[in-house]
Amino acid sequence: MAASISGYTFSSVCYHSANSNSDHEGFLLGDVRQEETVSISDTQISSAELLQVVEIHNHDPCAQLFSFYDYAGKVNEENLNSILKDRRKNVIGWYRFRRNTQQQMSFREQVIHKQLTQLLGVPDLIFLLFSFISTANSSTHALEYVLFRPNRRYNQRITLSIPNLGNTSQQEYKVSSVPNTSVNYAKVIKEHGAEFFDKDGVMKDIRTIYQVYSALQDKVQAVCGEVEQSERVKEKIQEDVNKLKQQIALRKRKTAEEERRLREAQNTDSHSTPEENTEPSESSLLSRIAFHSPSAPQRPSTSPNPPSYADLLSQDDSLLSSSSSPTSAALLPRPQAVGSPGHPTPGPLGMDLGLGLGLGLSLGASSNPVSTPSTPYLGNGDGSSSDSLDRQAAGQEDDEDDDEDDDDEDEDSSEYENLVSETTHLPVVSGSVLAQGRPAALSPDGDARGSQTT
Amino acid sequence: MNNMSPEVALHRISPELRPLLCSVVRNGRVGLDSTNCLRVTDLKTGCTSLTPGPCCDRFKLHIPYAGETLKWDIIFNARYPELPPDFIFGEDAEFLPEPSELPHLVQWDAGNSECLLQLVKELIQQYHHYQCQRLRESSRLLFEYDSLLEDPNYGRNMEIYAGRKNSWTGEFSARFLLKLPVDFSNIPIYLLKDTTLDPGEDVALLSVSFEDAEATQVFPKLYLSPSIEHALGGSSALHIPAFPSGGCLIDYVPQVCQLLTNKVQYVIQGYHKRREYIAAFLSHFGTGVVEYDAEGFTKLTLLLMWKDFCFLVHVDLPLYFPRDQPTLTFQSVYHFTNSGQLYSQVQKTYPYSPRWDGNEMAKRAKAYFKSFIPQFQEGAFANGKL
Repeated sequence: MAASISGYTFSSVCYHSANSNSDHEGFLLGDVRQEETVSISDTQISSAELLQVVEIHNHDPCAQLFSFYDYAGKVNEENLNSILKDRRKNVIGWYRFRRNTQQQMSFREQVIHKQLTQLLGVPDLIFLLFSFISTANSSTHALEYVLFRPNRRYNQRITLSIPNLGNTSQQEYKVSSVPNTSVNYAKVIKEHGAEFFDKDGVMKDIRTIYQVYSALQDKVQAVCGEVEQSERVKEKIQEDVNKLKQQIALRKRKTAEEERRLREAQNTDSHSTPEENTEPSESSLLSRIAFHSPSAPQRPSTSPNPPSYADLLSQDDSLLSSSSSPTSAALLPRPQAVGSPGHPTPGPLGMDLGLGLGLGLSLGASSNPVSTPSTPYLGNGDGSSSDSLDRQAAGQEDDEDDDEDDDDEDEDSSEYENLVSETTHLPVVSGSVLAQGRPAALSPDGDARGSQTT
Repeated sequence: MNNMSPEVALHRISPELRPLLCSVVRNGRVGLDSTNCLRVTDLKTGCTSLTPGPCCDRFKLHIPYAGETLKWDIIFNARYPELPPDFIFGEDAEFLPEPSELPHLVQWDAGNSECLLQLVKELIQQYHHYQCQRLRESSRLLFEYDSLLEDPNYGRNMEIYAGRKNSWTGEFSARFLLKLPVDFSNIPIYLLKDTTLDPGEDVALLSVSFEDAEATQVFPKLYLSPSIEHALGGSSALHIPAFPSGGCLIDYVPQVCQLLTNKVQYVIQGYHKRREYIAAFLSHFGTGVVEYDAEGFTKLTLLLMWKDFCFLVHVDLPLYFPRDQPTLTFQSVYHFTNSGQLYSQVQKTYPYSPRWDGNEMAKRAKAYFKSFIPQFQEGAFANGKL
């Protein structure tokens, strides 16, 4: 059992007691509640502890001794009622103050306590004993207090705690749960309460805050929806990109095969023809491809002022319209990135091989990353040699497997941009040549990419 | 604060309460052991510390009971002296008398100076009942108690202290304090006058301590009021037989009682015998008697002459005369020893029989003197100097 008394009640009792010229007694008002603590630990599932907490809220001093009992210690119920009046139901105990005596219940106190327990109907009536000890020369005075529960056989003494008194290491100021019974307080709150509380008794501020909170929640939910949608679109586009890449790879392989066959055919036709004949054509091809390297003056599409993307798009459109056979893969819409201003979706880009080398421009400066998967191309974007091209053709899958993590749409789209612009500027060459038409495409930030990224 | 003399206590107590305390400390005797008055210690006040004195209104009262001393706190209120006191029964936390059994509390009359003393007596009675209740813990001791209770000689004068030495774990023990119904009234007054203390009531108390509930360790002890103890010969009078193992009080106590009674009888007899003896010597030796103890008849001095040799004979009669032989001390009137005393010789063994009456003893003594004196004279001349 734990007991607590508010500081002001305690000081009030002390005041009344200390100012009396004899022994002093009175009643304690308050309430008793049961607290159950359930603790769960690793060692046991749960253990419940019941604690009875006694709280003393107020006290009712008696004006004189023997006011409700007689010489024999018999309690007079009428007198008791006239003292307590309607506070009788709040009585949880009584107290006595006597100077210079032992901290033990006296004969009469025990007799009275038994009767009070019965009359008031409180089974665990408590008794608070104050004792004032002074030294002989009145230099030191000690106020001692002990709380008894005499109706128990064992553990009769309980510690009485006074919140906020004693342990100064504690920083928090404890608020007690003593109910406020002041009439004036209730009146004032009633008068001015409407400004702070709404009809349900809930503070208005709380409601407002809650509304803000709900609005934020809604917005977050909406954004979630949008994010989900855009994620789905992105997924779809990613799939498309992958498909197109596969197609490109396929086409490359095909063109490579054709070329090989052509070469073989050429070789068988003219034995005397030196290998160098093919080389220049290849090198010329390559030189066309390697437009980033300074030693490639034949880069067809280099111009001091790269056209803007919008021009390219329009050119694309014209190109596409002129091209004869758009492949199925060319007819892919160009998706938008999230949060960016939209681009007009161009018409299906020509997947014609003629487009392959048309994007010999460094369109790295363009800030509109758009993924344009429609153009088939061969070779990597940075104008490396045919070795890499072959590697590219043969080992497409490997390269793709070696993709770096920071693959992003921007790079892809820039490559595709280049692809688009190339198609506009490069002259339409033979299909065989154009098969290698993928120029070195700069990623937007100028990095030369070693492999075709997806 | 301790061992406060009653006068100091009376001085410090609040004037309105003084009469009540007065009767307690001056006349207060409760219980069987009334040789000691009730003692008052630890006088404190219930008024504010700035109240001018004397204003003490609460104190500790020491009450002898069954060999123990009860220390009860008595609490008054100096500002309301008409109100009855409150009590704290010290270590007997479970002692709670029924207020209806305390008439002097229910009808407390502060004007009656005896009221407090009477109330204390009633409380002691209730306490006795409470202790007897506690005897129920041991059937053996309860039997002892009941058997004694039935005997009218002892039942009414019994104090019991029962309980555990240590509240929880100690062995159950009990002490019976019984007042022995021995009649001391015939003891010659002279024997009782020698004590320096106020003799009080002559009482013999037998205290029997049972150290365990099965009565295997029993320690009896006899207490006599100081005058009786002196009259019966000092601490030797306190020797009593040991408690027989397996015996019970109802057999043992009468035994002790009888022993004591016999002693008293003997002492009384002895007195009369001595008186007779002295009377006989007086008649036989007549003018030879120098002096004798006319109250207790314990001493007699004779001045005798034999063949012009004068000598003194001092006769010391022991307490248990005639069982014990009187001591004769012969003293020369002429000779001194080296230490400046008169030369003397003590004779403890001489023909004697306790069955002789006074006359016979006187005659025999005379005969013995005659036979012994030559020896003595020679010795005196030889060893003493003039």
